[in-house]
Amino acid sequence: MQFLAPDTVEEALRLLSDRGDLRVLAGGTDVMIQRMTGQLPRSESLLYIGGLADLRGVSRSNGMIRIGALTTHRDLRCDRTIVTHLPSFAEAAATVGGWQTQAVGTIGGNLCNASPAADLAPPILVADATMVVSAADAPMRIPADRFFVDRRRTALPAGQILLEIEVPAPPEDTWESYLKVGRRGAMEVALVGLAARFSMVGNRITTARLAVCSVAPTPRRLRHAEEALTGSTLDEEAAAEAARRATEEVDPIDDQRATATYRRMLVGRLIRKAARLARQSLEIR
Amino acid sequence: MTAVGMGTSRSDADAKVRGLAVYGVDYREAGMLHARLLRSPVPAGRIIRLDVTEARSSPGVHAVITAADAPEHRNGLVLLDTPFFADDMVLYEGEPIAMVVADTATQAQSAIETIELEIEELEPVSNVAEALAPGARLLHPDLDSYEILPGTAPWPKGGNCGGVMSSDPGDVDEAFEEADVIVEDVYTVPRQYQAYLEPKSATASYDGWRWTLNVSHQFPYKARSRVAQSLGVAESRIRVVGHHIGGGFGARLDLGIEHYAAIGASLTGRTVQLLNDREEDLLSCMSRENATIRVRSGLTNQGRIVAREFECLMDSGAYAGDTPYLTSIVLLMAGSVYRVGPTRVTAKSVYTNTAPSGAFRGVCGTYLCFALERHTDRLAQAIGMDRREFRMRNLFEPGDSMLNGQTLEDADILREAFDRVEDAAPWDKAGKGPLRGVGSAAVIWLTNPLAGSATLGIQEDGSLGVSTAATENGSGAVTMGLRQIAAAEFGLDADQVYVTSPDTDTQAYDAGSQGSRTTHVVGMAIEAAARQMKPRLFNIASGLLAVPPDDLELGGGRVSVRADPSRAVSLAEVARTALGAGGPLSATGTYSVPLPKWDPDSAEGLLFPVFPVPTYHVHQAEVEVDPDDGSVRVTRYVVAQEVGRMINPDGVYGQIQGGVAQGMGYALWEGLESHRGRYTRRTLESYGLPLAVDIPDVEVIILEHPCEAGPFGAKGVAEPPIVPVAAAIANAVSDATGADVTSLPIDPEELLAAIDRLQEG
Repeated sequence: MQFLAPDTVEEALRLLSDRGDLRVLAGGTDVMIQRMTGQLPRSESLLYIGGLADLRGVSRSNGMIRIGALTTHRDLRCDRTIVTHLPSFAEAAATVGGWQTQAVGTIGGNLCNASPAADLAPPILVADATMVVSAADAPMRIPADRFFVDRRRTALPAGQILLEIEVPAPPEDTWESYLKVGRRGAMEVALVGLAARFSMVGNRITTARLAVCSVAPTPRRLRHAEEALTGSTLDEEAAAEAARRATEEVDPIDDQRATATYRRMLVGRLIRKAARLARQSLEIR
Repeated sequence: MTAVGMGTSRSDADAKVRGLAVYGVDYREAGMLHARLLRSPVPAGRIIRLDVTEARSSPGVHAVITAADAPEHRNGLVLLDTPFFADDMVLYEGEPIAMVVADTATQAQSAIETIELEIEELEPVSNVAEALAPGARLLHPDLDSYEILPGTAPWPKGGNCGGVMSSDPGDVDEAFEEADVIVEDVYTVPRQYQAYLEPKSATASYDGWRWTLNVSHQFPYKARSRVAQSLGVAESRIRVVGHHIGGGFGARLDLGIEHYAAIGASLTGRTVQLLNDREEDLLSCMSRENATIRVRSGLTNQGRIVAREFECLMDSGAYAGDTPYLTSIVLLMAGSVYRVGPTRVTAKSVYTNTAPSGAFRGVCGTYLCFALERHTDRLAQAIGMDRREFRMRNLFEPGDSMLNGQTLEDADILREAFDRVEDAAPWDKAGKGPLRGVGSAAVIWLTNPLAGSATLGIQEDGSLGVSTAATENGSGAVTMGLRQIAAAEFGLDADQVYVTSPDTDTQAYDAGSQGSRTTHVVGMAIEAAARQMKPRLFNIASGLLAVPPDDLELGGGRVSVRADPSRAVSLAEVARTALGAGGPLSATGTYSVPLPKWDPDSAEGLLFPVFPVPTYHVHQAEVEVDPDDGSVRVTRYVVAQEVGRMINPDGVYGQIQGGVAQGMGYALWEGLESHRGRYTRRTLESYGLPLAVDIPDVEVIILEHPCEAGPFGAKGVAEPPIVPVAAAIANAVSDATGADVTSLPIDPEELLAAIDRLQEG
């Protein structure tokens, strides 16, 4: 097995196109575990992109927030732009594993690994993010809601890497949050993770966005539930209807962590909790 | 005597913090070989074919060892039911079938993978109910022919039961007729994995006659006797050398993998090291057993318990291990703390096709206390009485007896403990508010009485060496407590005392780190040694100072004249003088705890009949349950614990905080559930150990009632703080939500359902 560590994006892409046997490695918090448990072959050669400084960091211009694929969870939870404008990203990053994982794990790795439980997936789904992906000529753009194809499968073309995530800055009077349930206070794979974003004009919700992880093969938006909240005041009745619809939109399984029944219960309760918190925070009467 | 009752630094802290401490897994010898085990991939089956031909000729391989090369007899802690390697039948997933010894562990593992193993799988006897069902397949058809540990009285066993303990005073049914209300409950608990940082290891060498084992074991003398027993040789042919222990919690008390390293060494003539990886450690560890507990009590409308039936089915896994002993503890707890009237008790150690279970801090006490104290809450609620009031009415008084006939003259300490908790966190004000609750639990626990020893030597530099086979298992009992006791005996500071690590060739017997015994038992041995040594010490000083021995006193590293402390000789000078005046200042003390009286007719199969040096404990938990996800947050936790006399506050508080954390893990997150003989959570990632972020600061109230026969009055401290935790938390959670909470870990899903019922009702 070989360990290749290019210094530039161009070199990384050239290595990827020259040989088809490379596994891309960033923070390693998923890849290394999958190698250890035999989900990935240990003989596979690794292309370490952690040294590509251009792909790390957050910038803001022209109403667009750009997050480099190698931005770590710790970067996200500490970055002023993210904490101010995309708090659900910061909150999700703060729940990934423990501090050690957050220090090396990256948003790009979390998304490209495409675990059904990826904590950063619900935030990018509610944020209408665009995944900017390398391509032969100019970078290719994939809307977030078309990025997750199946369990551990993305729309990222073979031989390409995720470069950055583009997120439109949210409008005024927007509330967003990531609510995660695990058994303990940290170090948990989400039993359910919910990102919620509500934008308000006057006293009414004009845009409602809900996305979940850990309740289907891929992280997904809950469009029917969103409709139940659009135009509402996030009142209990609307929240209850959204919760009811959401439990029909998800398809959780029983596993060693939790039963499908409990996960369904959680989805509904988290939506009602999000509505309650947002209503309070946006001072809707 | 300033060394006792104060904090002191641990003599092992510096090496541990700097990474210099050598643990069992770190131990190395030049040219040593490495071994890997082939473990059964299935929980139950018959070995049809085992072909190791290819493994024998694999690169780097020195030996491939199977049942054909190992002793044929069975071994065991008390019931000799365990084969060296599985031969005909495999009885649990992870059971060793063969071992490869090679130049490197990688080569050994590669060779393991070439072994052709064919097993005809059988439907596993996967739980206690299946094992006890009529017509169940017997795991040990030859059970009746198995030997038992020499010196142990035979006990009832049969079928799929490796041991049955039963007690029936004869008047239980009549007593139930006096009851106004009868309450019956069933509780279930899963296994708990000790989850120490250092997986098991053993390094063995052989000189043609004797084996030397380098290990991190809680009980080196037990490792010695069990390795000897499994090899079929005299104990004195085994030497066990102990190293730093990366956590044990009971999992390193019995034979682990030491005998495999030993046979590897004698068959290759080389030093052989065997290390568990984490997954095989978890899968094969002698975890705390899962159990089902049924308790039925009759009580009067006035709140008096008049009769009880108590049944406990304990899953020993494929081999009995310590479970036949543990059945006795059921008798010792079923009618303790509260007066209960005539009580019938049955406890069974039941075989299943799962990994053998074993000792874990607090052993079965954790779940017996959970069942008893949940049931106590339910009794109070059945007659509409406040739960604390009910406890106070039924609480033991001095002179009350446990079901084994052991009388507790100091049982009033229980009431004192309840009072002190009440002062700190008044019951009527605790756990108020929506989805908040309070719960309490009390327990009487033992100090393990088994023998120990220590050799003291005043060194020529005036320092004091303590040599003992007692092990420092992380609690500080050796590196703080014993040093302080020895220091206090000779008027030294604790940092003038050093302790050695265990070696069965050079130190006398010691029963290891278990049941809070080290400070108490080995402390007494140190006092005995000090009593022997002091007359000579004073005689020599008397000669040097020309003053009668009775006029001298010890202190500050000197022997001085009481009337004129300026006249003194240093301990160093006394020690040097002693070399030419009869030999070094050295003495060995030994001790074992005298057992309290009990009634031998109180039960059949009572292998562990008493609670020596009992201590008293009351815990109170306050919790808040999250309405959105059903998770439990412990908002306040108060412990009142009787310790005899506190030797080291840091050690005592640390052990209580740690015991509560471990108990919270058991109550809320941990658990090895199995499905058809296989654990479902198989890694630490999914296992769910408690995290610092989830554990509150524990409020500790220490009660001191010095024990006449204890070093400076100290009783056992470290084991019991885990025992009442799940009980107190479960009672608080039930109080908060109305959920029954009859199983552990507490299930948030069940709590959400209970919360929904609360809100609908």
